[in-house]
Amino acid sequence: MTGAAVGVIAVLALLLFGTGFLLGRTARPVRPSDVGTPVEHATFETLHTASLAAPPLRAGLTEESARRSARRLRSLLGTNALCLTDRDRVLVWDGEGDHHGTDVMQHVRELLASGRDTAFRSDCGDLDCPLRWAVAVPLTVDHRVLGTLVAYAPRESAVLARAAGEVARWVCVQLELAELDRSRTQLIEAEIKALRAQISPHFVFNSLAAIASFVRTDPEQARELLLEFADFTRYSFRKHGEFTTLADELHSIDQYLALVRARFGERLSVTLQVAPEVLPVALPFLCLQPLVENAVKHGLEGAVTRSRITISALDAGAEAEVVIEDDGTGMEPERLRRILRGEGDASTGIGLLNVDERLRQVYGDDYGLVIETGVGAGMRITLRLPKYRAGVHGS
Amino acid sequence: MSAESTPRREVVTGEPRRVRPLPRYRAQSEIDEQTALGGAYVRSLMRSQLRAGLTAFAGLALAAGTLPLVFEALHSNAVVWAVLGFATYPPLTLAGWWYVRRAERNERDFARLVEGRPAP
Amino acid sequence: MNAPGHPASVVAVALVVLATVLVGGFGLRISRTTSDFYVASRTVRPRLNAAAISGEYLSAASFLGIAGLVLVHGPDMLWYPVGYTAGYLLLLIFVAAPLRRSGAYTLPDFAEGRLESRQVRRLVSVFVVGAGWLYLVPQLQGAGLTLRILTGAPGWLGDVLVASVVVLAVAAGGMRSITFVQVFQYWLKLTALLVPAIFLVLAWQGDGQPRVSFDEQASAFRADHPLYATYGLIVATFLGTMGLPHVVVRFYTSPNGRDARRTTVAVLALVGLFYLLPPVYGALGRLYAPELIHGGDADAAVLLLPARVIGGLGGDLLGALVAGGAFAAFLSTASGLTMAVAGVITQDVLPSRGVRHFRVATVLAIAVPLAGSLLVSRVPVADAVGMAFAVSASSFCPLLVLGIWWRRLTPPGAIAGLLLGGGSALLSVAITVSGAVRPPGWPHALLAWPAVWSVPVGFLAMILVSLATPGRIPPGTNAAMTRFHLPEALTSGRGR
Repeated sequence: MTGAAVGVIAVLALLLFGTGFLLGRTARPVRPSDVGTPVEHATFETLHTASLAAPPLRAGLTEESARRSARRLRSLLGTNALCLTDRDRVLVWDGEGDHHGTDVMQHVRELLASGRDTAFRSDCGDLDCPLRWAVAVPLTVDHRVLGTLVAYAPRESAVLARAAGEVARWVCVQLELAELDRSRTQLIEAEIKALRAQISPHFVFNSLAAIASFVRTDPEQARELLLEFADFTRYSFRKHGEFTTLADELHSIDQYLALVRARFGERLSVTLQVAPEVLPVALPFLCLQPLVENAVKHGLEGAVTRSRITISALDAGAEAEVVIEDDGTGMEPERLRRILRGEGDASTGIGLLNVDERLRQVYGDDYGLVIETGVGAGMRITLRLPKYRAGVHGS
Repeated sequence: MSAESTPRREVVTGEPRRVRPLPRYRAQSEIDEQTALGGAYVRSLMRSQLRAGLTAFAGLALAAGTLPLVFEALHSNAVVWAVLGFATYPPLTLAGWWYVRRAERNERDFARLVEGRPAP
Repeated sequence: MNAPGHPASVVAVALVVLATVLVGGFGLRISRTTSDFYVASRTVRPRLNAAAISGEYLSAASFLGIAGLVLVHGPDMLWYPVGYTAGYLLLLIFVAAPLRRSGAYTLPDFAEGRLESRQVRRLVSVFVVGAGWLYLVPQLQGAGLTLRILTGAPGWLGDVLVASVVVLAVAAGGMRSITFVQVFQYWLKLTALLVPAIFLVLAWQGDGQPRVSFDEQASAFRADHPLYATYGLIVATFLGTMGLPHVVVRFYTSPNGRDARRTTVAVLALVGLFYLLPPVYGALGRLYAPELIHGGDADAAVLLLPARVIGGLGGDLLGALVAGGAFAAFLSTASGLTMAVAGVITQDVLPSRGVRHFRVATVLAIAVPLAGSLLVSRVPVADAVGMAFAVSASSFCPLLVLGIWWRRLTPPGAIAGLLLGGGSALLSVAITVSGAVRPPGWPHALLAWPAVWSVPVGFLAMILVSLATPGRIPPGTNAAMTRFHLPEALTSGRGR
């Protein structure tokens, strides 16, 4: 017992000493003041300037983007002059002494050969010219040098060399993202364009007409509906993100249904049943809404006097199960099959096909829509959504 | 489930497209988040959060590391009883509460810095 | 042990089972058919979620086991409830918010999302299933014990009963509103210990407050290296909580990282509140049921005391309340664990996916521990749970902490850490349970409380192998880190 106990105690003493040391180290540093020190304000300035320079660069390295970002970059570095080049020519010269622009490409070519940061003296013979020294840094994306950033100063400066390196690296990240942006935009636009078109002019017109009808009789109601309408369209037309959360999608559906109810009143009854556990689930943007619109349309088609729609989202272990059911006209199964094969007529079912395709693309073939229907038998659509899938994050 | 009116339904699914789901490890939305703020800034946020966490952890480790030795030395069941049976729970909750306040303050400061809002 | 239970106890158990199924299956369907509640209130509020987490977490080990251990081994055993609570503090400060922000539903999800590796995902799945099974065995055994004490039924019946109720509830889709079931069970458990405890203390005062003595130490099981065992226990419970499969799954229900943190603080308070009670039973059991010290069934102390101390109809009714609470403990933890394990089995073990497979997985998830509980000799409930914590602490804790805070973690590093840390802990536990190494002596102590050495082994292996494979750092690491730590104010604010 004793030997072991001594051992244990020794280890513990060491541990304690260690934690004490850590505490001493971590507790000491000055906590940033809440109102901001001069250093923090300078940092903030820098951050702000960087944020202003970023958007143009996200368009890639062009004359236009270089022109729009150069001034910001120069104020970031605090130098007399700054120059951005691509591989062949000067894109922009910002600051004084632009006669140096003629000989800069010679240094740039050396840099392109070596691919490394270089510094050089720049004597132009003009005694009044303040530019005596420069540092040039390559702008690389995926190991390809796209161009250079050259910063000029009156004298040699290690600080500028370092700062220029950092700024260049930051520019590289922006350019890298510009490339990613390009492929990304294509992808998302193709996917969502079709859906946005689905929010039909009819719906917009009918909603506004319904709201207008309330303006005199019930202004408060009209006001609320108008807000719902604004919120709903804002969600549907939002610019960013491929994915959303079930909570957001259901919220938008709730608003949509409020607008529809305003028009059809008693003819439409809706039951929404949602297990709170599944609200954080992430899913492709505008995946449920076309299905609900579909259900509303089917429910109110023909001579049906009253229609009933049930929407439920339930917890099923590692998945969420969403069911959208209506008791409307239904559809001929064979016709539906054709639509899901992409052979249907263009006017109907684009929403169904699009949702089915996107679900399969994101989650795999096991996760397509399951639809139960028949002529005059209503329709029941079931979706399964995994609670987690790598890369699918609602925001 | 309102199944009264639905005796003639048929199950329809799309045909398998044989698509493999896209490898989405580098999903676009993530990169979006990353650039909007910049990795370096996130690192500083992480450091401040880690510091808060380690402070709380050090306190806990100190207590948990020494108490058994103290009990061994004291040989008094009454003390063990009082400390472990009752006295530990309030400090544990308070430590958690302290950490949450600290972590949320760190996040507020960070958000203010990044969004350029002036200090209140 | 042939203390015949009162019919009231059997009725209480039946009521708890019924209420669990009913609240889960129908309770919400009736009351909330309008849209506004769910969508407007948007997800579960921290306090409600905290009660649900606590309800799921307070298992047979907490309800019966702690009192039993305190009764037999004295107040040193109070480290168990302290550890079960402190585990949430560590979960809070290192894991809660980033884990929620990662969007992961299970630990394998987290591993895959962070390390971008199917291999790591599969290995983590194996450990989740292993730890889950290890944790389920004592739940089932506790149920068997309870039913035997109450009705004199053979020990295996309770195991089978709880297992079947869980399978039925899950298979019938009756656990759909699990949050509310768990909230209900937390308050039931608290009431079931609190009310009888008040009466017990009153009765004790009526007796002239006899002193509880812990001089007589019972078994050689632990007395060998008590200090080491205590540290082993502390490390395992403090660091193990963050990796328990059913705990992790519940954090998904929080709407965001900030709420996840607030939820965890509320859990600390609720769990701490509950743990004030079991020690009372342990101490009074020492006084009023001293024969349990040397019998094998110390875990029964909580169930026996009301009838023993108070007696009469009052004692029977209080006993029934305790029995109901105990069953709530088995059911809530067992169903939570079964769901979590079944989820992992459907996703990572069974070849194809679907609702039907989830049911198959459910049966599989509980059949194995059921077999285990029937075959393996009975280890004290709290000790068996402690072993599950040790495995979790040596595998998931390094994975989570390093995964969230350290950019240089690589898939090979994670695999090495899981295998060396978690693997050695799992092996030690298996050897201990099989009884191959008999007490007393250091070998037994080291194997029965492995966390002291296996946790550092896990961390070291993960760090060193990661440093040796810098080329394998996942390309999305920075993006993942950003997502884990960025406050919601900055990410969601742009949406609306």
